[in-house]
Amino acid sequence: MIELRDDALEFSFPEVHPEARLRVAFQRTLRIPDDDRDHPLPPGLGRFPLRHVDDAGERVPAEWLRRGGVMLPMYQSEAMWLNFTARSDYPFALKVAAGKVNAATGEAWVDGLHRGPQDYLVVPGQPWLDGYAVEKGVIRQFVAMPLGEGYTAEEQIFGTDEHGGVQLLACPMKREVYERKVAGPARRFEDQMSAMNRVCAPVQSSRSDMGLAPGGRMRQEIYEDEWELEDWDQRRGSRCFVQLTNSLVWRAITGEEPPTTPPTAREYTKAGLPWFDYYAADREALEGSEVLAKLRSVLEEGKRRGRSPLPENEPVDGERVVPIRERRRDRAGVREGSW
Amino acid sequence: MNGQRTDRKGEPHTLGSFLRERREALRAEDPRFSLRKVAGRVGIEPSYLSKVERDIGSPPAEDTLVRLAGELEVEPDVVLALAGKISSDLREAIRRRPLLFGELIRELKDAPDRAVLRVVREVRDGEW
Repeated sequence: MIELRDDALEFSFPEVHPEARLRVAFQRTLRIPDDDRDHPLPPGLGRFPLRHVDDAGERVPAEWLRRGGVMLPMYQSEAMWLNFTARSDYPFALKVAAGKVNAATGEAWVDGLHRGPQDYLVVPGQPWLDGYAVEKGVIRQFVAMPLGEGYTAEEQIFGTDEHGGVQLLACPMKREVYERKVAGPARRFEDQMSAMNRVCAPVQSSRSDMGLAPGGRMRQEIYEDEWELEDWDQRRGSRCFVQLTNSLVWRAITGEEPPTTPPTAREYTKAGLPWFDYYAADREALEGSEVLAKLRSVLEEGKRRGRSPLPENEPVDGERVVPIRERRRDRAGVREGSW
Repeated sequence: MNGQRTDRKGEPHTLGSFLRERREALRAEDPRFSLRKVAGRVGIEPSYLSKVERDIGSPPAEDTLVRLAGELEVEPDVVLALAGKISSDLREAIRRRPLLFGELIRELKDAPDRAVLRVVREVRDGEW
């Protein structure tokens, strides 16, 4: 089952194991410059609010209600990352797509888990995902753009603007495998970082549903599954559609104010605030996707269309980068607020 | 002193023994869970935490218990319940609709876990 708690999705599988609980939160963050540099990991600036789509009733398109799930507000050209925490280190396989484009492989969404190429992440081990895996060790940041303007990965790969949003599928490890392979040599991983918030002006947009487009390049690895494919309990997977709603209509839909926009990467860096690099020394990174490698970034697509889609794209330099190492059986001080 | 008594599942009966066993289990893997260090992070005196762990005196206030639960990676509601308290958000929910929630809790108090979980609001999956 999936519940909404503290603006996060809580996947739990009490029928599999009481510890089988996974939290997925959507973090507000800086948009990194869309340039030729490979940037470090930007901070978490607090969670996006999450609400049940059903609560919006007739204020949202029937299509949203048909899909079910939850919704969150994003401004045009705002960035996000996904934060994953397996509360008791119970392992999960997690498939992530945006516009039904798999973020690891670039392939169209299909239910179930696959290898060759691996189309899912493994938590714990993969603490977060910031974008589309374009090369080994490099992602392009998730940046919200209105559907229908050609920027999103969905539109670039499939030529349609039908889905938008983010799609998730979580499968717990089978109980007997957990008890045999994990429960003894337990691992612990936890992430924390202070949140911050700033005010900027929102950018106008035409549609109320958004999709994720590829932004600037960032150093981030997606790790190979260390377990066997049959270790995952695919019969009991839970999936969720996360509708991305333009922040400008969030109030009309929910009656609540959306969060303010984050600071620019340049402002943040000039203030001396930290960026991050993550190392998991003994994990193998997946190759990037050839399909995703061909995507045009928001800036490149804008140039092709003779538009300026980003309100600013100033380079940053002198970033203060804080290294974070995965510590198995230990608690790492990391990027997001406590839970 | 009844801190060593356990129920049929081997779970501690008292707040103090629950907190101590949890902290000591964590300390076995990580020295940051010593009595002194945990007390420091929670913002209380080590001697006070020691008394709490031995069930001496009244249980700490809600905010302290919630911080302790966070530090020891356990559910705040479990710690609050062991201390004989109800979290302020639950109190407020009952205060707003006392008859409804009173009836609900009485109806569910002996129900099996699965039946109780069905009452929880799930995120609905649709067609996509």
